[in-house]
Amino acid sequence: MRENQEKTTVLLGWSLQAIEAIDKLDRPFVVVGPPEFTTFAEKNNIKLIPWTFDVPIEQSFELYEILKELNVSVAVPIYEETVEWAGMINSLIWDDPKVFNKSLLLRDKGLMKRRAHLAGLRVGVFEEAYNKEDIYRFFKRINQAFMKLEGETFEPIHVKPFDKAGTVGHYMIKKPEEIEQIDDSEFPLLMESHLEGQEFSCEAFIHNGKVKFLNITEYVKLGHSNFVPASPSLEKWRPQIKEAIEKLVEGFEVKYGLLHPEFFVTPEGTLYFGEVANRIPGGHIFEHIERVYGFSPYQAQVLCCDPETPEEVLNKFFPEEVVSAKGHSGNLMIYPKVNVISRLEIPTELKEHPYFLKHNMFIPTTSKVSERVGFGNHYGSIYFLGEDSEVLRDLLVKYEKHNFYV
Amino acid sequence: MSTATKDRKTSTTTRRRTTSTSSKRKTANKQITLLENKFESALKTLEQAKPFAKSLYQTDIFHFATDLAATSEGVSIIFKYAHLFDQAGVFKDGEWEDLTKLQPQFVGGSLRVKTIYSIIELLSEMRILAIAKETYKHEEFTAEDASKFLNEVLALNLDLLTLIETQDESNEPEDHEIRAFNLLSYLGQELSFKAVADQMVQEIERLTVQRPITTNRVLDMIQTSEQLKNSGIDDNTVGILEKFGRATNAPTPLSLETSDQREYRLRLEQASEEELIAEAKIFADSMKETGLVSPYHAVLIRFLNRKNHEIIPTALALTEKGISGFNDHNKLIHDMIQISIYPETRQSIYGLGKMLDRGVLNIEPVIPGIRQLFELPVHAEVRKALSKFVDEQSGISINGVLVAGLISVLGQPLGVGQGTNPICQSARAISLWSQYDIERLLSFINSAARDNGIEMTFEGETINSTLLIGGVANEINQDLDPISVLLVPHLDKIYNEMMKRTLLRGEDGHKWVNREFYGEWIPSGFINAIDPFTLQVSNYSAFVKLFYATHHPDYNEGYQLIYPNPVGIFITNVHGELLGLHAVSIQRIDKDPNNDIRIYFYNPNNDSTQNWGQGIKASVSGFGELEGESSLPFHEFVARMYAYHYNPYEQGDTFMVEDKLVETVETLAKDSWGKNYVWE
Repeated sequence: MRENQEKTTVLLGWSLQAIEAIDKLDRPFVVVGPPEFTTFAEKNNIKLIPWTFDVPIEQSFELYEILKELNVSVAVPIYEETVEWAGMINSLIWDDPKVFNKSLLLRDKGLMKRRAHLAGLRVGVFEEAYNKEDIYRFFKRINQAFMKLEGETFEPIHVKPFDKAGTVGHYMIKKPEEIEQIDDSEFPLLMESHLEGQEFSCEAFIHNGKVKFLNITEYVKLGHSNFVPASPSLEKWRPQIKEAIEKLVEGFEVKYGLLHPEFFVTPEGTLYFGEVANRIPGGHIFEHIERVYGFSPYQAQVLCCDPETPEEVLNKFFPEEVVSAKGHSGNLMIYPKVNVISRLEIPTELKEHPYFLKHNMFIPTTSKVSERVGFGNHYGSIYFLGEDSEVLRDLLVKYEKHNFYV
Repeated sequence: MSTATKDRKTSTTTRRRTTSTSSKRKTANKQITLLENKFESALKTLEQAKPFAKSLYQTDIFHFATDLAATSEGVSIIFKYAHLFDQAGVFKDGEWEDLTKLQPQFVGGSLRVKTIYSIIELLSEMRILAIAKETYKHEEFTAEDASKFLNEVLALNLDLLTLIETQDESNEPEDHEIRAFNLLSYLGQELSFKAVADQMVQEIERLTVQRPITTNRVLDMIQTSEQLKNSGIDDNTVGILEKFGRATNAPTPLSLETSDQREYRLRLEQASEEELIAEAKIFADSMKETGLVSPYHAVLIRFLNRKNHEIIPTALALTEKGISGFNDHNKLIHDMIQISIYPETRQSIYGLGKMLDRGVLNIEPVIPGIRQLFELPVHAEVRKALSKFVDEQSGISINGVLVAGLISVLGQPLGVGQGTNPICQSARAISLWSQYDIERLLSFINSAARDNGIEMTFEGETINSTLLIGGVANEINQDLDPISVLLVPHLDKIYNEMMKRTLLRGEDGHKWVNREFYGEWIPSGFINAIDPFTLQVSNYSAFVKLFYATHHPDYNEGYQLIYPNPVGIFITNVHGELLGLHAVSIQRIDKDPNNDIRIYFYNPNNDSTQNWGQGIKASVSGFGELEGESSLPFHEFVARMYAYHYNPYEQGDTFMVEDKLVETVETLAKDSWGKNYVWE
């Protein structure tokens, strides 16, 4: 695989996995990342441009000047926070201002939902909130629309920040009193009606506006467990899902890169759009894809971000979806249910299960458990690989209730 | 009860008894083969990863190793692959990466934690074992180094081997304890216990020869060495271990024939005078030889104190000077024994003999100071802190503990130790006062015990420890003698406060603080090799020359050191790398038996034979050292020093010191701690 030898790819954000993958692609690359990695990068001959991304995007011109010297041909975003930076850098490299605007669309959940709606996708009812009053009013109107009577259970709504990854800052509001929990500093927020159905995510690798590979990740419990590829009962909606993805690609005018949308599907097969991101998904999804399909999704992302990757290369790179997978790869993320950890207890039955691959739980050096933000701070994961998605799902459900940390 | 615990129990029982059914064993075998496959393939993946990506794959190794290390078969499987660890990058970028920097003393600590460190430590020992067994060749670490390292690890951690056997149902061993047990049994099986026993003997002798006041560590080692006796070690080693075993238990005919202290006491009533003298002599010899005291010795002394007073000098192994002191202060000594010598304070018997030999009681104000302590009302906080020296069953009072503690420091002023606390300054102070300012020591002891506070003056202003918070050592661990437990918290705070008051003076505060803190007999001249403003080494040759001109007998016009000199030294590890600053005092400077000039010093860490690298290894015996002293050739000591006091009126000419001498010292300094500093 010696493509695009002379031009340099830039990774925006520091990820060893991504660095290892692009290094194996044998193409010149440079990383833009936190200055604290400078020594490590020097020691290992990794070209690093020390950069902090929490500065105004206007400073991307400065970054672009540095990158231009290095003959950079494409920027690949690694984290949510670097998506618009990649948009800006690619706009400048390709001299196409719209690339940046499109990236902004993927960073504002309000805009994103409107655009999806316009593209013909089914979305819940949503509005932006700038203060608590807005939330009270929205909550009330949603419940009026459902014609809820006094004393009946309220119809819940969700609020979340416009531009945070995954579940960071996400609240589900079931009663008006709960609105008071939200701190004024968290506004503005996006409010949306609650969507019923099974939640799942897609990882769609797009090149030249075409979906080259579509993975469906089945969520067993949001933020706790998932597996790849999805079970037959979810995969049966693949045609509808693919159609929805294509609408997104068209509507968002995505030509290159990775789309990571989340959907809900009702038992009847009605799809609701949740949100979409333009970055590497969390929850170990990339590891699962690599385990079952045998290709590196990090490499896939790089190849798809680069307009100059020839189509034959991609066709050869991606295997056939679902049928070529060697089983289902899943994981359970573990959150301690105690405040102070004294021991780790892993049942023999689990370790001896043929689907059990490995785990990475350890007793942390400080035994006090830190507070949770989003679903960010899990204390290790358990990995499974097996033929039957039902057996796998049962394992994930069963051990989600187990106390591994005591 | 959780499944994991049950599982653990089965695995330990299997190891011990192998009575499990064959089908169970089959599954166990299958499981372990499966684990081995996972471990092997994870190791392969790690090996193939580029150096920068190693960290992505190390965790898998640690996890599979954790599972393997839960059984003894698993440990042997880990060993099968241990020669590949370094090459694969198992320790890459971690604290265990450079194995030449590892030290056996730290292994036990890592094995005793529940976190990931205990498994990395285990893997590292396996790698070292591979070197010892020559399945892996390391350029800078020979097979011999490896065996020596592991023998020391075993010697220092034998207690981990007893851990599992002594724990009962209600107190199940934890995972990390089980794997430490598996590791040490495996090491013991693969190495010879003979070497371990030799190491053990060396370690015990090394510690006892320094005659520390606090002997817990030695006693623990003697106790754990018990189980080595039946593992095929040679008679000579068994003999030495038995000598120490007897010294701390029952070294005499009568103590051997009785089963406990009460029975021994009853037997003494029946004993003839000859028998009593024989008992006294044997106890005294054993104590003199090992520095350790048997609890029965205390029973005998108490008995003699009542009935056969005249045999006590024999039991204390007194010199002529000691005997005359004993006779002069008969009543006082009788009372001191009565109040303070009990089986739990038995070590003070050694101190009592040494104290009398020193003739301390002839110093005028000492006697009233000691008597005052007999009935002093003790502050509740102090009572609490000292209560750990008292057995609930025992008749000893807190005042008795204090008197016993006082006897120890007066008898063994160089045996005062800092334990594992960063309190070298305070330990040094107690040691210095016990030698040269007993009156001051007594007044601090009395006020600390009564008021839980002490006062000192600094440049005319009073500093009261009860009004201060903080200190160098926030948490003082309790492996200290009673006098240190009493005084250190106060001394530490006061010292810190004095140093604070000199912060802005532009010179090292020790210049003023040392004289006020330790005593005015400390010479007023003071020099520090490090410039406090630039933190650079400045004018080092002048620093060295001045020390020669003031301290070396060939250059200082024959002035003798009258009082110890509190100096600051750089502590370096075996590779000469800087570890930190340390306070010691120079006791004397003299010719050794080979006619070389040596510096004899007191090191409060009671572990004075540490290897400081560059061949600089302090010795505690063999070069004319007195009890508790360490010594080094003159220039080697100078090469580790950064500050000292000197008497400007008693010095030779610095220009008489040859440049060659300075060069030797400077090279040693620059190639060790000096690497951490800029040299002007």
